[in-house]
Amino acid sequence: MQDAIVVDGLSKRFRRHGTQPARTLKDLLLGRNMRRSEYFWGLRDVSFSVAQGRTVGFIGPNGAGKSTLMRLVGGVGLPNSGKVRTVGRIGALLDLGSGLHHDLTGRENIFVGGIIAGMTRAEVARRFDAIVDFAELEAFIDSPLRTYSTGMQMRLAFAVAAHIDPQILLIDEVLAVGDLAFKQKCLERIKKFKAQGCTIVLVSHESSQVRQLCDEVIWLRNGAVNAHGPTELVLNQYITEMEDETRRRTPTQAPTMRLPMGTELRLNQNRFGSLETQIEAVQLLSRRGYEVIEIDSGDALQVVIAYNALQAVEAPIASVSISRPDGSICYDTNTAIAGQTLPTGAGPGQTVLQIERLDLAGGEYFVNVGLHERNWAYTYDYHWHTYPLRIVGGPGGEGVLCPPQQWSLEARREAQLSAEVAGQ
Amino acid sequence: MHILPQKGDAMASRPLPIAAQLIYARDLLRELVSRDMKIRYKRSVLGIAWTMINPLMQILIFTFLFNRVLPLNIPHYTVFVFCGVLAWNWFQTSLYLAAGGITENRDLVRRPGFPVAVLPVVTVATNMLHFLLSLPILLVCILIDGLPLSPAVAAFPLVLLVQFGLTLGLAYLIAATHVFFRDVQHILSIGLSLLFYLTPIFYTADRVPAEYQQLYLLNPMAQLVSAYRAIFLQGIWPDGGALLGVAIFAVALFALGYTIFVRASYRFVEEL
Repeated sequence: MQDAIVVDGLSKRFRRHGTQPARTLKDLLLGRNMRRSEYFWGLRDVSFSVAQGRTVGFIGPNGAGKSTLMRLVGGVGLPNSGKVRTVGRIGALLDLGSGLHHDLTGRENIFVGGIIAGMTRAEVARRFDAIVDFAELEAFIDSPLRTYSTGMQMRLAFAVAAHIDPQILLIDEVLAVGDLAFKQKCLERIKKFKAQGCTIVLVSHESSQVRQLCDEVIWLRNGAVNAHGPTELVLNQYITEMEDETRRRTPTQAPTMRLPMGTELRLNQNRFGSLETQIEAVQLLSRRGYEVIEIDSGDALQVVIAYNALQAVEAPIASVSISRPDGSICYDTNTAIAGQTLPTGAGPGQTVLQIERLDLAGGEYFVNVGLHERNWAYTYDYHWHTYPLRIVGGPGGEGVLCPPQQWSLEARREAQLSAEVAGQ
Repeated sequence: MHILPQKGDAMASRPLPIAAQLIYARDLLRELVSRDMKIRYKRSVLGIAWTMINPLMQILIFTFLFNRVLPLNIPHYTVFVFCGVLAWNWFQTSLYLAAGGITENRDLVRRPGFPVAVLPVVTVATNMLHFLLSLPILLVCILIDGLPLSPAVAAFPLVLLVQFGLTLGLAYLIAATHVFFRDVQHILSIGLSLLFYLTPIFYTADRVPAEYQQLYLLNPMAQLVSAYRAIFLQGIWPDGGALLGVAIFAVALFALGYTIFVRASYRFVEEL
């Protein structure tokens, strides 16, 4: 089998930017030029090859070099050393919206997008109906893109990108968009590419997607290949190591802390992490700001996390989840999802999660909080099953959700009619 | 675990045949130019008419100023100034827009397989289209003034081509340097407003004192404006020698600009 992608000794150095993205003439005149810049290696001596028709996944924490590697494979940018050789037409599902314009109609955008993606006008015209059909946007195709919802825009963008016929396909985190049904459709489409013998490179944070699609996985760490092999093997190793990393960094000797409610925090039992930054207090507040351990289903809840960074940490992530006593998680969120970061540096800090409505069914729950390294590499402090929360009300039954609901009773018209007819 | 690549079986990316590449380049250029045109006028009531309104206003002001306020006594002044304004606007707007052309198209530049070098061409071509769309009004002015259209009009595409090459060469230089030094846009706006006065747009080149003439005519835009006037105003063939000089300069500038642009383009991704 011929190799579709050969990467040989690839290294890429980046300048660590300060606050200013580009130099200005002032900097140049004042002699503040490149010499002062710091460099770091985004990729170091990366070598691998992908046989034609294989699907390979790049995994690793943020900043490990996955996207950089992906772009270099796609021919964007120039490596400091090493070579990339690819055979065949490259298609890319990255930055899906690029080239689309809000004032143009769906139809116009399909042409622009398709040609930017590498098709000729004739090719776009030939596939136009298929693209519109795939995007399920027949009714809106002559409306300007600005009238589309975000989901519709992503559907259009994906549909265009999905109709190039590449021999090598690069996919970067695009499967994170759209509703579930469309996501499934995208996955099916990618599987179809695969069946057609297309070589695929995939970057994804969802291990289930990697499992589903990839034949092999390359695990990048700090810009270098840490492991390259069959999906199951490397992925499991990666997941284990991420967990190990937290366990390894958890200090063995730390005082057991007693919380105001009487629960004890014991390391490696209900507390995990390196404790470089410590969660000092967690408060659950009602809508009015009173501390609570019990709320009505559908009420608001605030989770206040007071922490103290013993040493300077860079932009940690805060997470909150709500779980049942059996450990099943009902709700899970973090600052990274919301696109926010906690401030960098040492010293005390506080962050508050505001939940507008907590529509959980009545019962006993725990609120779990954590602070994590900014790339999810390991955890600073994590409190598991230490903050109880009782939710009152809501229906009984097995379910965990209790959204606002209403049953209404209406007689079936036909049933009535037929009953009347039968009675006559 | 570390699986090294099997070296040996040498291979090269098989590029598409030249014909297919040309078709693609044509389609890409056409679609991007038409995108720019559509975006610019899509939501304005007068639409494409703005292309003509802008130079018309300038011409109106110049005609009033230099026919009435400071009479320069140039015959057929409207046609005279029209030629200058149209050629200059094409040149100036292209360069302005080229400066931001890379930095504002970050997502295209970061896209695998996208030929970044097409962006400055799109900018210059879009503005050439505006120039061409204003030509009918110039022709109307020529007819009103009773000027004959001579066979010299046949030289027009050639002059157009020379200006295209000159502008594109500069556009490549400006687009590439602006990515690394964001001051370029400011320097450019000062430079262009100075050059505007050093180009015979609202006055005639022969008013420049003799001792500065040589220097003055080194400005390629001065030569190009004269060429347009020869064609439309005087109805004579433009000065072949001067035009050839500008053409050679344009080719050299284009080669330089394109080379620098392509070299720099590998680093665009890091700077955006």
